[in-house]
Amino acid sequence: MTDVDLRDPGLSEAGYPAERVSLVDLLDRVLAGGVVVTGEITLTIADVDLVVISLRALLTSVSALVEPQPKGDR
Amino acid sequence: MSQAGQAAPAGQRVRYRLDADDDPQAAERGLAALVLTIVELLRQLMERQALRRVEDGTVTDEQAERLGYTLMRLEERMGELLDEFGLEWEDLNIDLGPLGPLLDDHRA
Amino acid sequence: MSERYLPGGRPPGSPEEGVWAYGITASDRVAEPGGAPDLSWLTGVGGAVRTVTCSGLTVLVSDVSLAEFGEAALREHLEDLEWLDEVARVHHYVVEAAARLFPLLPVRLATVYSGEAALCAALADHHDELLGALRRVGGRVEWGVKAYAAAEQAEAAVSPAAGEPGPGLAYLRRRRDQLAAGREARAAAVSGARAVHAGLAGKAAAAVVRPPQSAQLSKVRLPMLLNAAYLLDASDGTSFTAAVAAEATAHPELRIELTGPWPPYSFAGGDDDGR
Repeated sequence: MTDVDLRDPGLSEAGYPAERVSLVDLLDRVLAGGVVVTGEITLTIADVDLVVISLRALLTSVSALVEPQPKGDR
Repeated sequence: MSQAGQAAPAGQRVRYRLDADDDPQAAERGLAALVLTIVELLRQLMERQALRRVEDGTVTDEQAERLGYTLMRLEERMGELLDEFGLEWEDLNIDLGPLGPLLDDHRA
Repeated sequence: MSERYLPGGRPPGSPEEGVWAYGITASDRVAEPGGAPDLSWLTGVGGAVRTVTCSGLTVLVSDVSLAEFGEAALREHLEDLEWLDEVARVHHYVVEAAARLFPLLPVRLATVYSGEAALCAALADHHDELLGALRRVGGRVEWGVKAYAAAEQAEAAVSPAAGEPGPGLAYLRRRRDQLAAGREARAAAVSGARAVHAGLAGKAAAAVVRPPQSAQLSKVRLPMLLNAAYLLDASDGTSFTAAVAAEATAHPELRIELTGPWPPYSFAGGDDDGR
């Protein structure tokens, strides 16, 4: 274990202060990235072993959400 | 008007969320932005076609002058409509997802 | 090593329960005495975070109710930006915290198995690929670079051309010049973005280009010309950020944004391109 405070949202390698990551940058990564490990066995409990939504398709429908822009919010 | 709970297949639904509960003005402005975006699209298409015809030399100077003047007045009128609804030129657009925005930058 | 069951979670294996996966590591990284990380402080999606180990791989998971995280429920939730915002951040928080402890292969959001047996079967099927992926990205970080066409310069003053008698013709001439200038500026920005990507990719272990982000979500009005991720050793952060700053200086026609370091989501493999 290192001495880094694991609860610290983070000073990066380069000493960047922790910032709240933007949702779009986050979704870009967690929805289209990350590994998907599928399996062969089908259990009787559920119809599918693995629930993985095709998130590219959903991202299109999500991104079409039009949110009204409050004036001056740019 | 939130849209939770609908079961249409993913990717086949475009949602417009007008938060009428929070701000009726915003809903009206959102609707106006949509309508004016279409109007502006038509205006830009007409303008580009006019420019092509002027370049091709298929219109007389007099016709070109009238075309240009009409388009100029249309642009002014669009600016007035935007002011009336409290919108900026940058508010006019529709994001077509992978196809990008519907309109190019206003001044491009 | 049998799975550790942390207090506060639900008993695994109930019919309505599934298993939400965050990330995968090689179990020998966590098996040495004292090496098993204390995850009791981590709260993830649906509750406590625990580990499941099989086939030499250890997966960080939470037990989740299929009523909320089963396929049908997820389809609805994933169209709810507020739900997505919260769940994605929690998922990312767990991934990021774990990636500080040991090399971690991030798992895609909303990967839910019907139970540990299904998870272990999947791990057994893909054991070699997963170890390969871990070797490739484990301990490395991802930096994101986005480039936009910079806001256009103020219009040059229009000097009335000789021989343009009318305001209509003057207007048309002005619009034609503006459109031409806009096209040229756009072409310069596009080629600039390509050059930036080529330069940065040369400094990274791997690079991937993604489609531009939705302007509705990003709230940026400028056209996005580059949305790329670069895989780097954790120790290369300073030199890479300096390289990005140098590219930004060299390309005033672009607005360049850097995010990171991230866990290596974009290089974990398993996206639809089959990387």
